[in-house]
This record gives sequence, C-alpha cells and structure tokens, in this order.
Amino acid sequence: MEQLELPYVVKLNIYQGPLDLLLELIKKNKVDIYDIPIAVITDQYLEYLEIIKLTNMETVGDYLSLAAELGYIKSRMLLPLPQEDEDENIEDPRAELVRRLIEYEKYRKIADELNEMDVLGREIFQAGTDYYDEFGDPDVETEMMKTDMWSLIEAFRDFCKRRQLDFSEDLRFELESYSIRERGQEILYILRDKGQILFYDIFGDKPKKIDLVITFIALLEIVKDGLAGISQSGKHENIEIIFIGEDKIE
Amino acid sequence: MKIKLSNEYYKKIIESIIFVSDKPVKVEALKGYFKDLQPSELKEILDELVQEWDKLNRGFKLELVSGGYHFRTRSDLSTEIIEYNKEIKKFRLSRAALEVLAITAYKQPLTRIDVDQIRGVDSSGVLNLLLDKRLIEIKGRKDVPGRPFLYITTEEFLETFGLNSLKDLPSLKELEEISKDIGELL
Repeated sequence: MEQLELPYVVKLNIYQGPLDLLLELIKKNKVDIYDIPIAVITDQYLEYLEIIKLTNMETVGDYLSLAAELGYIKSRMLLPLPQEDEDENIEDPRAELVRRLIEYEKYRKIADELNEMDVLGREIFQAGTDYYDEFGDPDVETEMMKTDMWSLIEAFRDFCKRRQLDFSEDLRFELESYSIRERGQEILYILRDKGQILFYDIFGDKPKKIDLVITFIALLEIVKDGLAGISQSGKHENIEIIFIGEDKIE
Repeated sequence: MKIKLSNEYYKKIIESIIFVSDKPVKVEALKGYFKDLQPSELKEILDELVQEWDKLNRGFKLELVSGGYHFRTRSDLSTEIIEYNKEIKKFRLSRAALEVLAITAYKQPLTRIDVDQIRGVDSSGVLNLLLDKRLIEIKGRKDVPGRPFLYITTEEFLETFGLNSLKDLPSLKELEEISKDIGELL
C-alpha cells in the first residue's frame, strides 16, 4: 500500500535546557567563555527561544528565566562601572553565569565519558541478567532481611507503575470515603486474621488515588506504632507486612 | 572445610561459585566463606583467576565490578549477541539521563533541586526514569524545609558501567583539569 507522505518536519537540535543551549551558542560563535559578548549571544538565544516556544511549550519556562537573566546582565554591562576606588573587587556581571556554565559543562563532559564506557546490556553481557523485563521479577524468594521506609516508598512507586494506574480519570471531587484511622483498623483486621500480607496485596485491585494514599499512610502509622513489622527478602523484592500485636489498642 | 586445599582446587570452587551467580560475587562474601584462607591468599587466587581467564582469550572474561567478581562478555562481541538474541532490549540512556547520572555520581547524596540547579532545567522526570532503571535510589531525606528526597547511585550503577567502586570514576582532581580545559576549549 502506498504510504501517505508525512508533512515536512524540520528537526531542530534538541537542547537539554537553557544552559545547554547557551553553551552550544558559545561554542558555535567560538567566543571566550570568560568574555562572552552578551548582546550577541542574548540575541541568538532569544531567536532560539522563539522556535522553542513553537515546538515545546512545556519546557519554555526554564528557558525564559535564563532569558531574563541574560537581559539583566546585558543591562548591567551597559551601565558605566563605578569609579575605580580602593574597592577593586567589583565582579563582572557575567561571572556568576560563567561559573554555572563551566560547572554544567563539566558534567556534560562526564556524561559523555559515561556514555563511551562499555555498558552492561549494550557492549557487555553476562549470564543471569534479565535484559528483557525492565522491572525484574518481584516474586523471587530469598533470605529475609530487615527493610526500611525507603524501600516501602520505592515499592509504592513500583506498585503504581506496575498497575499502570491512570489517575487522570480520578479528577473528581468526592467526599472522603474513610479516614486513615479506619483504613488502619481494616489493615490490622486483615493482619490479625492472616498474620502477614504482601505489600502489593493491601491495595486491592482497582484502587483510586485517594485509597492508595490513605492506605499507604495508614500502613506507615501502623508500623510507626509498632503494631506491624515490615520485611523484605532483598533489595527491590516483595515487601511483607507482618502482624506484631496491638495490646495498646485492645 | 578442614583440610587445606591446593590453590588450583580453590580456583575451581571459586570460579564455579562465580559462574552460577547472577550477580557479582563479593570479595567480602568469599572471605567469609573461605575462612581458612588469608585475605592475601584469597586475593592472589582471585588475581590469578582473572589473569588465567583473560589469557585464554575467549568470549568472556572474569572481571571485578561493584566489589565482586563476575564473568562478562568481551565488549567487541555485542553486535552478534544482540543480533542472535532478538529479545534483548539494548540498554539506552538519553543525554539528559546521562547528565543527571553524572551529577548524582559525583555529588551524592543530593536532592532534585541540586540537580536542577546544575542543569538549569527540571529533572524530576529523568530522576524517576533512573529510579526505575535502578541506577539511582532514594536514601533518606535532607533536613531542610520541605524535607526533599536524597538520591544516591546504586550497585547496579557500578555494574552497568563496569566500575569496581565510585573511586573508579575520574577523580575530582581530574575534573578540575577538565574544567580548566573547558575554559580553553570554548
């Protein structure tokens, strides 16, 4: 079948951000980074900004703030310097920006170096590594070890990702169906019954965003109160919630 | 283990342990298991193993990454490996992700704001991607208003880039050299 011709698209250089763009302009114009001709560079920067406005509205804010900064530096460059008195430490208005540019360029260089290394899964391979599943297998049983709240938070992120929860449809205003305390009691009820439960299982099948948040906070409260413990068999493995007791409540 | 075994025998045991492991086998773990070996003896055995496998000049070799030993393929064979195994998802990182990773590696632990300030652009999306890829992880919160998360690089980061430890990254001194060069380059 004959393909329809796609509309002509101009592919622009993709910049990583305002500093990236500014560095590229400095390179392109072959100017000294310690003596940037602010007027010229600002004009070119603003030209690019116009294009970015058309193509990428989301990131335009980041670019605008640097545009304002450039404008400010430009105006300060136009002002006559105060008389050279004893006070010779008047800083070049560009100094702060130059420092930031050099700092950023340093990390751009390291990023390049990282990219040139032999990377596992790209140049190097090893047995036993899962190159197919992005998130690995959570159901591997290994020896138990203690875990911390950060693993819980990461597991929560994973959970949302895994279920590919779409929260956009939840943009409705409703009365809160139940409180953190109530949810906590509910979890404790299940725990008392079963002794332990998997982290992923406490959220139910199709949780709403508010349910997720309430459940998660309720769980943190329960753990904080020492009513349940959490344990994890290894980094990024499934987290288990284990019932300890609730003398305090009963 | 009661009888002192010959080095050759130790080598066989150790390389088999490494062979069946899906993660680098930590030197510390080997030390803990082979209690009758002095650390220096163990090191000698491991060094010899690395050399012997390398001398064979086969498709894979024994390497020290992230504080442990693992068999890894030689880098010049990747094209065929990927071609043969079509299901392999080749590892890819965007420029932005590499930048954030570089910043995290050198400045850790650090917050999202720290990253944003260096890059001059919002990096939260990139940080989430790196979390998903397990190249960075959250390690507590910074004790400042808002209590932002602190990020650090993971063992997987070291494994991915074939580093034994963070010390294998170009040193800060070398970085200063880079800074100087930048002034001349630009």
